[in-house]
Amino acid sequence: MHKRVQAGQRRKGYSMTYATQRDRAYRGGGVQRSFDRARLAQWLIFIVTAALMLAPALPILLQVFVDRPLYADDWQFTLSNIGDILQSERIGRIALTTGIFAVFSVIIAEVLGIGAALLIGRTDLPGRQIMGDVLMWPLYLSHLIFALGWVVMYGPSGFITQSIAQHVGGTPWNLYSIAGMAVVAGISQAPLAYLYCLYGAVRSVDSTLESAARTVGCGPLQVLRRVTLPLMVPSIITSSALNLVIAVETLSIPLFLARPARIDTLSTFLYAEGIAASNPNHGLVAASSLLLMLLVGSALMVQRILLRQGHRYETVKGKGTRPMVLSLGKLRWPLAALTGLILLVAVVVPIAGILLRAFTSFLSPLVPVTKVLTFANFEQLLGNPANLRAISNTFQISFVSAALGTVLAVAVALVIQRSSFKFTGTLEALAYSPRVIPGMITGLGIFYAAIILPPMGWLRGNIGIMVVAYVMATLPLALGVIQPAIIQIGRDLDKAARTVGADWVSSMRLVMMPLLKPALLGSFILLFVFHLKSYIIAIFLIAPGLEIMGVTMLSLWTNGDVGELAAFATLQILMVAVLLILSRLLFKVKIYD
Amino acid sequence: MTELVLKDVSRRYGDALAIDGINLSVTNGEFLTLLGPSGCGKSTTLSAIAGLDQPTGGRISFGDQLLVDATSGTFLPPEARGFGVVFQSYALWPHLSVEDNVGMALKLRKVPAAERRARIAQALELVELGPLADRYPGELSGGQQQRVALARAIVFRPPLLLLDEPLSNLDAQLRQQARVWLKDIQQELGLTTIYVTHDQDEALAMSDRIVVMRGGKVVQLGTPQEIYRDPIHPFPASFIGNANLLAVTGGAVSGGGSCVVTLGDGQIVRARTPLADLRAGAQLLAIRPHLIRCVPTQDASEINVEFGPESYLGDHFEQEARVAGCTIRLRLDAPQPRGAGRIWVRAQDAVVFGVDE
Repeated sequence: MHKRVQAGQRRKGYSMTYATQRDRAYRGGGVQRSFDRARLAQWLIFIVTAALMLAPALPILLQVFVDRPLYADDWQFTLSNIGDILQSERIGRIALTTGIFAVFSVIIAEVLGIGAALLIGRTDLPGRQIMGDVLMWPLYLSHLIFALGWVVMYGPSGFITQSIAQHVGGTPWNLYSIAGMAVVAGISQAPLAYLYCLYGAVRSVDSTLESAARTVGCGPLQVLRRVTLPLMVPSIITSSALNLVIAVETLSIPLFLARPARIDTLSTFLYAEGIAASNPNHGLVAASSLLLMLLVGSALMVQRILLRQGHRYETVKGKGTRPMVLSLGKLRWPLAALTGLILLVAVVVPIAGILLRAFTSFLSPLVPVTKVLTFANFEQLLGNPANLRAISNTFQISFVSAALGTVLAVAVALVIQRSSFKFTGTLEALAYSPRVIPGMITGLGIFYAAIILPPMGWLRGNIGIMVVAYVMATLPLALGVIQPAIIQIGRDLDKAARTVGADWVSSMRLVMMPLLKPALLGSFILLFVFHLKSYIIAIFLIAPGLEIMGVTMLSLWTNGDVGELAAFATLQILMVAVLLILSRLLFKVKIYD
Repeated sequence: MTELVLKDVSRRYGDALAIDGINLSVTNGEFLTLLGPSGCGKSTTLSAIAGLDQPTGGRISFGDQLLVDATSGTFLPPEARGFGVVFQSYALWPHLSVEDNVGMALKLRKVPAAERRARIAQALELVELGPLADRYPGELSGGQQQRVALARAIVFRPPLLLLDEPLSNLDAQLRQQARVWLKDIQQELGLTTIYVTHDQDEALAMSDRIVVMRGGKVVQLGTPQEIYRDPIHPFPASFIGNANLLAVTGGAVSGGGSCVVTLGDGQIVRARTPLADLRAGAQLLAIRPHLIRCVPTQDASEINVEFGPESYLGDHFEQEARVAGCTIRLRLDAPQPRGAGRIWVRAQDAVVFGVDE
């Protein structure tokens, strides 16, 4: 009772000051601003995004309809580039090869990924934790490194191939073929399928659905087949589309495995015509880029049509519920042995091959490894200042691009999801458009843009041009991390900030940004690792003094310096591993989780 | 003095009208409640006042300041209005301590640090949470969170307080206490308040005036007593006080007052109507369950019914009865034997409305 009276008196005192101060200071107690900061910020974000996305695309389109390189002075409009493409039998064959290779690699990736998601995510398979981790390795490494590992071990003169040939006489397989490419690409893309199925379906499916199936008489394996698998369909479609895009645009796998057999895909054709040729036919390059974009675009269209309902944001995230674990019974150990063997052969051996090759002068079953051990590859690698420059450039570019990319992504995502800006639909479409543009073509477009658009010219010859290309190409990747995190934050939280006097900019800065910290860190690390191993975007952009690791590695391959390349690859594997382990330990951030 | 005025305010989402031509005026120091079932547009109306949602039609003004005018495109953003808002979810910022949650409004207004601390302390003392200033929202109970939300909404001394179902996340007992406590604070601060709820008890207990809403429209506006005693529409009658509604027929009545209606089975009931102009033909008869008697009463119509099953509800029984093809509920001290029986309803307790077109 006494306490209540006291409280009442306190309130009385408060209410008196309340009334007087309100009348004095608060006629319309809001926070007034002289100009609309929010609109300005939103337009700025929109314009930056639009410029970044359209700058590379428009010059390519222009180049398609022009009779000589854009940098030439006297070009004229023409349709002959399109005509050349349509009539060329060679390009038709190349497109067909690209299609067959892409489809088979997707099939391999999906079968492996789905199987692994079910086995590792849902069963009592012994050692599933470590097998899940090993399965992820290809995702952390570039195709370039992975393809190198396969060539070193399973190529025609590879270590394993030759060991077997010694015993049976004659090589048991030919890696330099479309089938070989499909296997390597399929295995390196299996982690993506695995992740989508694991987090999109296997882990997030309500386990009562499965329990319900058990109650009506389904055995554990029947549950997987009849309930879990059908529920995975959206994840399978999404990951298939993404893998298809990646297979169409990958360069190093066909370059390493198909070029020696004189097989071309669109990406190796573009590389040969646009970079390696002494007098590049830019019209043809631009027109085939367009063809490549059409292929990729139609794959994504099909995915959209198939997934018309739901799944608006493709993410590599899901709810962390722990569903029931299915018991494999007698199949436990045989299945574990089989899975382990596949991982050993497909992932561990190629990576071990790179490490081995890096520390040897020569790798052959005929010569004992101990006799050829050497540090010469590393000495050669680190003795070349261009290589050291490439490493330092790569770190600078990756750091700046990851930082700017994360800032741009969060700005775009906040306008899309938390503002009353009029053109959020357009902004979202623009921001996701790089998904249709293969990385090599992003680089090509920025290259053209730097030639013909005056402001872009300032970026030529410094890391700026690479940063612009990287930020653009990976915007959808960063959005994929940040957008789901924004959805998790209740809308009332930023509305509440508005009611206490924050304008849009302040409410985003004071409330949304602090809450998004883990997502921003995750996006930064993901982008940093992605840029560190990237090579394809930079192919058209490197210049003397502006080397980066990936492209240097590509030219080491072209020059036949496999030992030095293996040493470089080893170094890159080490960097990525240290980065990932540090980010796990220091920030508790697990990318792709 | 009239402070807040809504004139023909509408909000359209595609083809659907969430609110449809709302007219309201709220005077200084008044506690006004928007009451209605979910989807009636009460929260949309509150959002329009707060500036969290932009109406597609009408105008809103506060004192001499124009907040919204759909024809001229005027729209004052929420931060420029400066109304205190308590959200149903409380919307406390989880990364900030209680003190920083409450203090954000003052920081944004560039109040000097010393005064800021004093005012945060005052506001927290007012909601009796002084000792918890350093805690984080995640470490507080639901009731404490609700108090922080209130402190945050009033610390910058807003001229108008908007509350969106602030008590609906509390358990029943706590809600009773919070209701009294909230009303106390509102009265002592003399704070003009708009309160949104779907709980009729809350509305009756706290409000100076109640706005009953349905389908985006205002159905009735009045003091709690007026709304409860003299509903002018069958919806407030049934929504507040759970009146039974019976389909009847009757003649035209003008000027209000007593009337006579016929039940579907021909029984005659003497009643009254609050409507100035009651049209002949199909009409609705509203009778509250506790005003139905089972003993002969003076000035009451006698109605033959078929008593049905009863439920025991502690301090009373609720029993069903069938009459003229309709089921009515009765609130009784002792249940009636099942089967044929009689009830009595006084003419002043039987209220007749027109049928909604």
